[in-house]
This record gives sequence, C-alpha cells and structure tokens, in this order.
Amino acid sequence: MTTQESQALGRPVLAVKHIQKVYGARGNVTRALQDVSFTVEAGEFVSIMGPSGSGKSTLLNCVSTIDSVTSGEVHINGADVTRLGPQKLTRFRREQLGFIFQASNLLDTLTARENIALPLTIARVKPDEVLKRVEDVAARLSITQVLDKYPYQMSGGQQQRVAAARALVTNPALIMADEPTGALDSKNARLLLESLETLNQRDGATVLMVTHDSFAASYTHRVLFIRDGRLFTELHRGEMSRQQFFDRIMQVVAMMGGEGNDAL
Amino acid sequence: MLCKLAWGNVRRARRDYLVYLVTLGIGVMVFYAFNTISVQVDIAGIKELGMRELMGSLMAGMTIFLAFVMGFLLVYANNFIMKRRKKEFGLYQVLGMSRWQVARVMALETVIVSVAALAAGLVAGIALSQLMVFSTAALFKTQVSNFRFFLSGTAFFITVGCLAAIFLVTLVFNLRVVAKAKIVDLMSAGRRGEVVRVRNPWISAAVFVVGAVLTGVAYARLLHDGMPVMMDDPAEMNRFYLTTALVIVGTILLFFGLSGFLLKVLSHARNIYWRGLAPFTLRQLSSRVNTVSFSLAVVAMVLFLAITSVTSGTSLLAAMNSGLENGTPADYTVGMMYFDQQAADARNDGDASPSYGVTTQPLDLMAESAHRTVSTKDGGTKPMTADDGRAYNLADIAGKHVQVNLYSGYSAGQAGTPKPVLSVAALFKMAGASLPTGAGDAALYFMKESDYNRYLVFRGAKQVDLGESGYLITSDAGTSMTNVYDKVLAAGTELKLGGHSLKPVASSVDATLSAFSDTPGGSSNPGTIVVPDGVVDDLNLTLELSSLLVNYKDGISTEQGDAYVTRAGQDSSYDNVNIVQDGHVVGVWSYMTLTRTEVYESANSMSAMVSYLAIYIGMVLVVACAAILTIQQLSGVSDAGPSCRMLSEIGTPTRQVNHSFLVQQAVLFAFPLAVGIAHSAVALHVVIGIVELFGHVEISGMVGLACAIFAVCYGGYFLITYHMSRKVIRDAIAARA
Repeated sequence: MTTQESQALGRPVLAVKHIQKVYGARGNVTRALQDVSFTVEAGEFVSIMGPSGSGKSTLLNCVSTIDSVTSGEVHINGADVTRLGPQKLTRFRREQLGFIFQASNLLDTLTARENIALPLTIARVKPDEVLKRVEDVAARLSITQVLDKYPYQMSGGQQQRVAAARALVTNPALIMADEPTGALDSKNARLLLESLETLNQRDGATVLMVTHDSFAASYTHRVLFIRDGRLFTELHRGEMSRQQFFDRIMQVVAMMGGEGNDAL
Repeated sequence: MLCKLAWGNVRRARRDYLVYLVTLGIGVMVFYAFNTISVQVDIAGIKELGMRELMGSLMAGMTIFLAFVMGFLLVYANNFIMKRRKKEFGLYQVLGMSRWQVARVMALETVIVSVAALAAGLVAGIALSQLMVFSTAALFKTQVSNFRFFLSGTAFFITVGCLAAIFLVTLVFNLRVVAKAKIVDLMSAGRRGEVVRVRNPWISAAVFVVGAVLTGVAYARLLHDGMPVMMDDPAEMNRFYLTTALVIVGTILLFFGLSGFLLKVLSHARNIYWRGLAPFTLRQLSSRVNTVSFSLAVVAMVLFLAITSVTSGTSLLAAMNSGLENGTPADYTVGMMYFDQQAADARNDGDASPSYGVTTQPLDLMAESAHRTVSTKDGGTKPMTADDGRAYNLADIAGKHVQVNLYSGYSAGQAGTPKPVLSVAALFKMAGASLPTGAGDAALYFMKESDYNRYLVFRGAKQVDLGESGYLITSDAGTSMTNVYDKVLAAGTELKLGGHSLKPVASSVDATLSAFSDTPGGSSNPGTIVVPDGVVDDLNLTLELSSLLVNYKDGISTEQGDAYVTRAGQDSSYDNVNIVQDGHVVGVWSYMTLTRTEVYESANSMSAMVSYLAIYIGMVLVVACAAILTIQQLSGVSDAGPSCRMLSEIGTPTRQVNHSFLVQQAVLFAFPLAVGIAHSAVALHVVIGIVELFGHVEISGMVGLACAIFAVCYGGYFLITYHMSRKVIRDAIAARA
C-alpha cells in the first residue's frame, strides 16, 4: 500500500499503540518506554524532543524496527511491525522506511551516487531506473555536483544531504531522522532542515525526526515531548510562524528541565 | 595482575588470535611429524644404510628454512592484530601503566598463545607421526612389522627450538609497536578504523595492463629461452635473471592495478554494476586489494614456488622411475673403465709403481673377478673372499651372463687435444635438430654389432643384422633426447666414419634394449651407436668401458646372489679396484656396482624422500599463504563492521551482506592462486622438457596427493575465513547503533 493510498483512506502512516520497552532482567530493570502511544498522519513532519536519556532514541529504534518492543504494537501503513519475522522486517525496512542518522553513515568506499543507489540496487530495481531516480533525488537535494565524489571529499552538510537522498530514493512511507543536524554547523543544519521541509511540502514525504535541538524542531508541524520514557506533552504548530513556534517549544523545554538551553 | 589482564585479553581477542593459533599449531604439528621421520624409518623396517641419518638431517635442515618462512608470516599476522589494538595499549598508558608493564602484558599474551599452539600442535603432531609410519612404510615399500607408539626427543627439541625463535622475533616486533608509538597516536588509532585507499582507476587500469604485458613478455621469454640448466653461460643466466625480474615486477604491478582494472571494466557494465550490493562489493574489494596488493603479489609468488617445486620434484622422480624396468637389465652388473694412453701417461708421471698401461683388447670380466683383491691393514693386498669365506668368483653364482664393451668416440693415437669422430651435437645437426634444452654436447659411444647381438640374446630379443654399412642408435636418456635420435634415424641420416658410409637400419631408438648396466635413475646410456665390427677396428677407437651383466644361476636366490656380490657381512669394501694385465694397470673396476634390488630400493627411497619433502615444503608454504590471506580478510571484515550495520539498517538482508563478503573473499583467495597457477603452468612447461631428459614423464599420483593436501589447506582457510566473517558480520549488525 502506498502513502497516497493510505492518505486517501485517512489511515495514519504510523500508529504507535501502548508500547513498552524494558531493558535488563529481574531486580535490575530499566523502563526505557512506558505506555507510549501516538500517530503520525501521511504528509506530516513530526519531531520528538526530550532530554538525554528520556527514551527518544529508543522510541525511534522501536518504531524503525531496528529494536523490538517489550509490549504494544507499532503499525506502519497498516502493518503491525512487531509481529514480523526478521526476514520480513528487513524487506519492510527496505521498502517502507528511510533513515537519516546523526553521523551521515555513508560507506567510505562508495561514491555519493553509489551510496544513494544502494537501497534501490538491493531491492533489485532495474539499473536504468536506479540511475534515473538517483539523479532525480540528487537534483531535489542540490547535490548533483557531488554525485561522483567520495564521502571524504564532501563537506559534512553535503554528506548529510547525500544520506537524506539515500533515505528518500525509495520513496518510503516514512522517513526517520535521528538527530540529523547533530553533527552539522548552523548553516549546514539550516540547509538540511530546509531540504526536509521542501520534501515534506512539495513531495508530501512523511518525516519523523528525533532531536534535542529546538531550532530543528521548529521546522516541523508537531513536536512530541518525551521524558522518563513517557509522552510528556505535544505541541501543534498550527498557524504559528516558525519563530513563534520556536518560542513555544523553548517554553516547554524550559518547563521540562531546561534541557534545550544549548539550542541556539 | 598483569597475567590476569593478558589472559583476559587473549580470551576477548580470541577471534583475532584463533587464526594465529591454528596456523602456529599446524606449523608445530608439521614440524614435529616430519622431524620424526628418522624414527619412523626404523619402525617401518627400512634397513637401507644411512637412510635414517639422511632423512633426519634433510628434514631438520628444511625445518629451519620453513621456520623462517613461518616466522615472517607470524610477525606479519601479529602486526595485524597489534595494529587493531593500538588504542587499547594507549589506554593502558593513559591509565598509568608504564610502557614496560604494557610490554609485559603483550609478551604474556604472546606466551599464552604460543604455549597453547605448542601444546595443541604437539599433540596433533604426535598423533600424525604415528599415522605417518604407515605411509612411510608404503612409500618405502616395506611392512610395519612391530608397530609401537613412539615419541622423538630430537623432533621435540627442533620443534620447540623453532617455536621459541619464532616467538622471540614476534615479541621483538610487538615491543617495537609499544615502545615507539606516542600515546596520542595510539589513542587516535581506533578512531579511523579503515583508511580509504582510492587510486585513480585510469592509472590503476593502466598499471594492470602494464603488469599483464610484462608477465606475458616474461612468459614468452621463458618459453623461448628455456631454463638455464648448465648455469655456466653468463649471458644465458643474465637473460634468465631478466625474465625473473620481469615476472616479479609484472606480478606486483598486476596486483597494484587489479582493483582499478576491475572497477573500470565492471562499472561500464551497467547491468552488472548497478545490481544488489555489486557496487559495495566491488568498491570494498578494490579498497582491500589496494591495502594489501603487495602481500597478495607475494602470496601469488610463493604459491607459484610451492606448486612448481612440488610438481617438478615429483615428476622428476616419476621420470627416473619410469625407466626402472628397462634400466635394470640384469640381476647384477659390474663394470670397468679402461685407461686410454693419456690417462695412463698422466698416472705414470713421477711415481714408478704401479705401472699403468693401455689394452687394445677387452678383458674378460668374469675371469678377472676371481683375481680381485682387497687391501689389508698393513697396506698390502689379499685375495677377495665372498661372504661364505671362499675365494670370490662371480662364476660361482652366475647363470646367464653377457659382457658388452663400449668404445669411446675417440680414435687412438691422436696428438694434441683429441677430437671425437662424432659428437651428439654434430649428429643432431645432420638431422637439422639442435640439442634439447639442458643437454650438453658430448662424444657418442660406439659398440660392435657382435657385442650388441650377444646382449640382445641375453635380453631374449631378436638379433639385428647391420650388414656391411648399417648402424643403429641406442639410448635410454629420456624422451627429449631419444626423440631427436629418432629423427636422425627416420631421416635416414648417412654417417661417414673413417671411409665407411653408414645408413640406419631402424627408424627409431629402442629404449627398452639400451641399458647396459643396472643404474639408479634408469638412465645409463646417453647415446651409443652400434656399427659393424670392422668400423670400430678401422677407426681404431679406444676402449671406454666393459660391463658384465649377470643373472644368478638356478639354485641361487636373489637374496643369496645379492648377498654374495655385495659381500654382505664383510667389513671391507671393494677398495682395491686396479685391474692388472701383463704387469700394467690397464683399468679400474667401477665403484658403482649395483644389483637390481638395490636400484629398486634406492628408487623407492628417493621417491619417498622427494615426496615427503615436497609435501612438507608445499604444505607449510601453502598454509602460510592462506593464513596471511585469512588474517587480512578477517581484519578487513571487522573494519567494515559499521558498513555492515548501515547496510542492514537500510534494509539489506544479512544473507546478501554475507554473500557480498563471500564474493570478496573468494576473489581475494582465488586471484593469487590463479596467478600462481598460471606462472607454474608456464614454468612447468619448460621444466618438464628438462625432466624428460631423464625419462618418460607422467604426472604421478604423488602430485595429485600433494595438490589434494594443498587444496584442503587452502580451501580450509577460505572456509574458516568465511565462517568467521559471518560471525563478525552478525555481531556488527546486532551491535547497537
């Protein structure tokens, strides 16, 4: 089922239902996530914020099927990923999800073009189409000129946009970004966020981004705050300007314990 | 405390150490097992004199050489392990340990691994040596009469000594890593696990082509020039050295350019390149090849050496043994050499006693045998006695027998430097052929038709009739010589000798009727022309040697006959060899008188020895090469851990990641092997030509066995590599991001 189809049905792309994640065993138990539930509609740009150790990365890992939940359900495009076997999960990840990490995580030995093409070649897309789609997505992210360079020949921002391109090239139902601006300077961080915003607005990509940077969060439609493994609150941007939304986020962050002070 | 740390480290890094341990263990096992051969010789009931000492010293010498090879390998392997652990050693120092203490931890680790390898290797070696007794017996064609469990102190000490030496060298290199490095370098070493080495693909591809061309030129030169066997022609040697240099440089360039070439070619094949993990596999492969290209080239050369030496060694043996049956025409043969005028004159100079002279008529060796003497302790001589104490006389045991006389190619009474009436090269030239590679020019022997016919009767063959002007060539010198003789005969080449004009009466050499004595190696007759009796007399050719071929008479068993002629039980050898006629010493008995039994025994021992040496050397070299490849690949896989994790995260099935690494490893294992085999094929083509001088060549079963053992070793390491890298990949993927 494609994103467009689920949009038409009004079904959410992502539905997280009462998930729990417990680490350790008897006597020494850490509850990383406790009864977390939320949904993300198709075409939404959502961020998850929280202080260090709040469980936001665990949440993203569980949603992105890299980690398994202790209980609860995660539905992506209608399928409950907690019930899929390892082989189906791999296939599911390949077809439905796109990942952007803090460290760009590109393969050092491959050129940008080859890095971006990987998810497609793995999925056995025809070579001609692979190359065409790589060109398309590179143009959208303005990285056409670095396509034949190796990661070490690119700036950090370019590397991160190449990573974004790799996440997008399969047209995934959901793009997961884990602190994508974490390793970037402010100029490059802005460029990347604007790229994500454009993708979301123009191409209707659904993005779920984990960040502890209020500035990055202010680019999104909705912010989920998480603390001590529980959903703390949620903020909708609505008709607010980005600056207004940023101020509102800062207020919540301050209320949660001043974790966002390093945001600007 | 340091011990505990070292023990913990070894346990933790056991995957790194496993290959090191296995290789060292195999080394110890093989060292021990092959050094017990002198003990095995006893148990296997091999009574041949000196065999025990010969095998023992051969193996010990070889072990020292192989220990060097092993030592270099392990230093290299250890370097790989240490490089990956630099950060750890930096951390120890940051935490306040002195360099000396860190060095001790490292030394302790090496001790633990070495002792473990020694223990495991010795146990395996002891087990293997018990089994080898049976193969030794089979190779020497004896029976294991009373098998017993045995240990060898000598083998133990040689093995431990070699291991200790290897250990010390490794230790020195390891200590250098710690002693030289700055802490800051050690600490940052782990940060960048993989140094990306990208070479310009165009230049790389060009380098590859240059390497391929150089190798091709070297091949062509070798095939054209052949192998310099005589080693006495400096120009020929220089050509050979240049060819060797070309192939070495070519091989190295081949590996330096390989990755670029592969990339260049395959990236143009869109439909192959942009599929699955192909780009990853290729790029990864090219990066690996770039990192280790030099050692891949070395591995290829060492494999080449192993294959070539094993194959040529064993086929040389096969060639020698192929002539065994034809090369032993009688139960016992004994020969004598005649002095020619020059030799007699040279001996008569100065000292007057005894007086040397020349005979123009062949002596009757059967009769002469009764006059043989042996030296006594006081410097005199006494008549030779047989082992039963009676006077020695071959007639006592001889049944059917025949004496043949060979004449040299030189006419008597020539002044100055004598010239042969016919030399091999001159004969070949008449047929438009040249000497085969490795064969030297020499005078041909002559034999009278009447002698040859007596010989044929003795052998139970049909007599020949040369008429007035016919000739024949006999030789058992191996196919590369006899082929040319055949050509000479088939062409009807006319020989003009001292007023006679001779025509061949046969179109080919009968190598089965060409051996005039029992000879180990099966080849005793480099080329003898049989001519009508009158031709020899007219040419006034000088006597070269006589050979008496004896079959034991009925009622004398082979054992009895052998014992009689070898004078078993007598401490004196045939030390007085002079043959006196009319007061002059006219010739000497040849020292080498052999029975058919001895020829067969020595051929068996020779095969056994060469086979063992071949397997020993080959196995150590192959294991060393395979271990280098394995260690390189495994360290490459663990460096690629983050890449594997990333691939898994973007949805690559683990199976596909494994497959990608399998392809990489298969290429890295196969390519050096392929290059080694290609080099060997060309070299062997030339070598076999030389080997054919000794007899008919068949690739023997021994080569097959050796190849099977090598394939198991090499393939085994490949499987270990793949199996372990799957584990590394699985762990890398499971690790939290």
